[in-house]
Amino acid sequence: MTFAIDAKGLEKVYKGNVAALAGVDLEVKAGDIFALLGPNGAGKTTLMRILTTQFKPTSGEAHIFGLDVVREGGEVRKVVGYVPQETSVWSDINGYENLLIYAKIYGLPSQSRKEVIYDMLESMGLRAAAEQLVKTYSGGMIRKLEIACAMLIRPKILFLDEPTLGLDPAARIAVWKKLASFKMEFGTTVFFSTHYMEEANAYSDEVAIINMGKMVTSGTAEELKHSLRGELIKVSVSDHHVDEHTLGLIRGLKQVNSVVVADATLIVTVEDAETALPGVMDVLRSAEIPVVRIATTKPTLDDVFLRYAGTTRAPGAASTTERVEEEAGGDHRE
Amino acid sequence: MNDSLRVVLAMMELELRRLRNDRTEVYTRAVQPVLWLAVFGLVFSEIHAIPTNGIPYIDYITPGVMLQSVLFVAVLYGLTLVWERDTGILKKLLVAPASRYAIVIGRSMSSGVRAIIQVLIVIPVALLLGVSFIPNPAYFVVALAILFVISGGFAALSIIVASLLKTRERFMGIGQALILPLFFASNALYPIALMPHALQVVAVFNPLTYAVDAVRGLMITGNLALLPLDVAVIALFDILMFAAASLSFRKIIE
Ligand SMILES: Nc1ncnc2c1ncn2[C@@H]1O[C@H](COP(=O)(O)OP(=O)(O)OP(=O)(O)O)[C@@H](O)[C@H]1O
Ligand SMILES: [Mg+2]
Repeated sequence: MTFAIDAKGLEKVYKGNVAALAGVDLEVKAGDIFALLGPNGAGKTTLMRILTTQFKPTSGEAHIFGLDVVREGGEVRKVVGYVPQETSVWSDINGYENLLIYAKIYGLPSQSRKEVIYDMLESMGLRAAAEQLVKTYSGGMIRKLEIACAMLIRPKILFLDEPTLGLDPAARIAVWKKLASFKMEFGTTVFFSTHYMEEANAYSDEVAIINMGKMVTSGTAEELKHSLRGELIKVSVSDHHVDEHTLGLIRGLKQVNSVVVADATLIVTVEDAETALPGVMDVLRSAEIPVVRIATTKPTLDDVFLRYAGTTRAPGAASTTERVEEEAGGDHRE
Repeated sequence: MNDSLRVVLAMMELELRRLRNDRTEVYTRAVQPVLWLAVFGLVFSEIHAIPTNGIPYIDYITPGVMLQSVLFVAVLYGLTLVWERDTGILKKLLVAPASRYAIVIGRSMSSGVRAIIQVLIVIPVALLLGVSFIPNPAYFVVALAILFVISGGFAALSIIVASLLKTRERFMGIGQALILPLFFASNALYPIALMPHALQVVAVFNPLTYAVDAVRGLMITGNLALLPLDVAVIALFDILMFAAASLSFRKIIE
């Protein structure tokens, strides 16, 4: 099977000896939506620019659908759509004209060109703004226009460098709906970078985390979260004193990794909160300790990110690591 | 090859469309050549300070002023690549199925589109000021073609300079530093014979000299003796600049 992206040992040293990539291996399956996470300066953009044939890696090799990005760059460019991190539209012409110029650069047949362009504008929700100068567009409209531009040639793979940066939640959802529909309709592979963890969580088939030019982990979002093996059960026990004997019983439970008491809250680390909870509750009940409140916390992709990529976080990518359920046995979130 | 031509044409069309939406720059850029003609040209025509083989001085410098305008447009246009490097525009173009040569040539020749429009504005002004052009449409078209082509060479030259710049600061200043020596060390304003020897040597190696000679011959004097040489030099200049700019382009994109 040929991978959509298959890279081995990619290294890139910029002038001035900045080692942006230090041996990246990567396999992306055709038809997948693949999220690339990593702190600022990790090498996400560098990796994308090499994969899209903008410059050569210092060493290592990469193939896009079996085509070598260095030796067969021309062929690679025919199957690749790309939206760079920075704005890439001409702001002093209108939206239609932006697509028209690209259609001409790509050599789309002139009979169907106009129709293809208007269809694409329509599907990105830009039909009404087609004749407006792009400098009057909002950030979200510009991003949509850029994606429209990249999709114009129906690429087999779409590279998106922070496609939803600076978009409001509604615009982000709209963009992702569109991308998911491209995947459904044309089988487009999507390779994107983002600082929004919940986006990677919600829309990707697979996630990889890059840090300091190296891939530090990859897998589905579920696998990565599960790999932390650190779900928490927090039990608040009013003023009641939890004696050492009871703590010992809880520690002795099969699933429990550790127990600490802070104020009047018992914090139990387990592998899987849902199955461990009944055992913990049984112990507390037989010790006649009144429980006021129970919360379970599962690791999120944020936790995964923090674990693998250190403490450097992009601003604006806030999320909740903890959600609380008021009642024991209440619905546990996924 | 066909692919490359398509890209070059698309980039020229882009330039026309941009111009259609924003004409103010065309007009503000026209102020300078018009002043040169109206003030410098008329004054020196009166005092007959410069020997011009019997043609009025304002007629003599009209091709020079046109080329000055072309030079300005081309050099500043090429240098804006420094700015585009920081946007995604260039990156996206690089991922389109076009060769680097096509992008560089397309980019350079787009400056020709702007340059020709600038020239077309100067012509009616020159006519109003009494400049008499040779009324031969074929000559006129060839002259415009020469202006168009040399513009591409100068834009490529400034792309080379742009690739050496680290930041976009001072690129206006660097533009001036490129334009003014080229302009003054040429036959745009005075015959080469009047120049000090050192400057004469520079002028002989200055492609602008050949372009001015060609356009002056075609539009004003009708003296086409050196036209084949002029065309050959301009073609060579363009080819060298395109090749060098394509090589230096790598520096810009990394
Ligand atoms: N053109 C360049 N020349 C020199 N160094 C560069 C260049 N581009 C990036 N770098 C350096 O390479 C490293 C990786 O940068 P890159 O842009 O790939 O990171 P990134 O993961 O995309 O970051 P961000 O999330 O901020 O976009 C950084 O140290 C950066 O400073
Ligand atoms: Mg980046």
